[in-house]
Amino acid sequence: MLSRDRLLRGALALPTAAYVVAFFIVPLVVIVVYSFARVSLVTFNISFDWNLDNYRQIHDPLYFDTLVRSVVLSIGATVGCLLLGFPLAYFISRQPRTWQRVLLVFVIVPFWTSFIVRTYATVNLLEEHGPLADLLQTLHVISGPLMILYTPRAVAIGIIYSYLPLMVLPIYVALERIDDELLAAAADLGASPQRVFRRVTLPLALPGVAVGCVIVGIPAMGEYVIPEILGGGKTLMLGNVITDQFLTVGNIPFGSAIAVVLMALMAVVLLATRRFTRVETG
Amino acid sequence: MRIRRHWFTGLVSLAVIVFLWAPLAIVAVNSVNKNPLLVRWGGFTTSWYHQAISNPDVRAGLRATMVVAATSTLLSLAIAVTGCLWWRRAGSRSRRVFDGMTYLRIMLPEVVFATALFLVFTRAHFQLGTGAVIIGHTVWNSAYATLIVQARTASLDPALEDAAADLGANPWRVFRRVTLPSLFPAILAAGLLAFTFSFDDVVTTYFLNGTANPTLPVVILSMIRFRVSPEINAIGILVMLFTVTMFAVAFLAVSGAGWSTRRSRA
Repeated sequence: MLSRDRLLRGALALPTAAYVVAFFIVPLVVIVVYSFARVSLVTFNISFDWNLDNYRQIHDPLYFDTLVRSVVLSIGATVGCLLLGFPLAYFISRQPRTWQRVLLVFVIVPFWTSFIVRTYATVNLLEEHGPLADLLQTLHVISGPLMILYTPRAVAIGIIYSYLPLMVLPIYVALERIDDELLAAAADLGASPQRVFRRVTLPLALPGVAVGCVIVGIPAMGEYVIPEILGGGKTLMLGNVITDQFLTVGNIPFGSAIAVVLMALMAVVLLATRRFTRVETG
Repeated sequence: MRIRRHWFTGLVSLAVIVFLWAPLAIVAVNSVNKNPLLVRWGGFTTSWYHQAISNPDVRAGLRATMVVAATSTLLSLAIAVTGCLWWRRAGSRSRRVFDGMTYLRIMLPEVVFATALFLVFTRAHFQLGTGAVIIGHTVWNSAYATLIVQARTASLDPALEDAAADLGANPWRVFRRVTLPSLFPAILAAGLLAFTFSFDDVVTTYFLNGTANPTLPVVILSMIRFRVSPEINAIGILVMLFTVTMFAVAFLAVSGAGWSTRRSRA
């Protein structure tokens, strides 16, 4: 009876295990294997001779620039999200309960709208003679049309726009947990508000900041749709190069190598931030 | 001092919230703007909505999206519920592997595993199309569903099920009469979220769809690329209303569940 129970319980793991192995782990292993293969661009036959040519090809300035741009854009967008998101999360966490809820709704609802529509919406905003251009002209920041759309800067703004709530929420959760009495105690002991913020609030918010940076930075690095729409179809980021190699050029081994590089970058980020994020995920 | 600091963060917060909402407001305004070039306000019209609703590509896209989202949601729920039931009684090491795989499926850039699946399917001569898209969506959708159901199973009291078993109910009956009802809010929320994520997806679909009817987001993407017409705004608003409603209902299902446990504990 007991063994039947155990068997039954073990069987419950089967759907998840089978699915993850067949459609997640095996494909990822296959892509690593293919990244060492060679393709004939005439016949499209792929031969496996375990060479590093695909990885060497990434040093080609054309692709290396894209690699650097992807990393810079995702770091820049993460920092941008942090600079905008931290004050917002802090402000929300210092409000009375009811107001916290209302403000959170204002932050989350845009995030609930369709991803592709949101990206399209930023196109409207950044248009040469669009609303942002009007605003900047009235403020005399620029004099001519706004020349941002279809540049890397537009992609960064698009990523910040789409990922901002992902930064705000974990920081808010961390800040909201801070006991007000802790801050009062620090103030009573003579710490200036700046010092309380630097020595008490900031360290306690750090796990939330780390989680926010990871869940913004990693997906941003592999972003495909945002550079496709806001970058004007140029191969601005790694996601676009991979897609091109797979679906248009047909150089699958090279596309695989770039995908492996992307995975490696992600692993580095996850390992580097493990110390901070572990607290949060338990 | 306190007031002054909040004055600064308050101003930044206001600016950020305007930044989040302004683009959506522009889409909403343009969806009823009569001016076809959308450079100035040209009067009110509903014709973009009429165009959107009668566009055959949009209709076919919506149908394809519904099929993919519904099937992927059901598959994801089956995987998530069985996985979570196993997780409750699993050892800590197997739990860690399970959790790691769940987070990885969510964190890994979609482009990477979409290409990986594309490669495996094409090499294995498995026809790309709706079936392949459903398999692809279920990889990450089952992870999201697992996270939500897991949060609920963690707070489930095993004493109830043990009591039912002691009273002579067989495992299946215990599951159906005790476990499933208390998991229901989480399953509902997970289902709604999974449906919405699938409904919204571009990248996985783009890779695995082959020559099948493209789903709505892929249709929208190609419309944006070719700057077809202002009707994109109308489609966008309709899609947005749908996804926001789904998320809101899912959110209420989850928070409603939290409320009822808190009350029963009190």
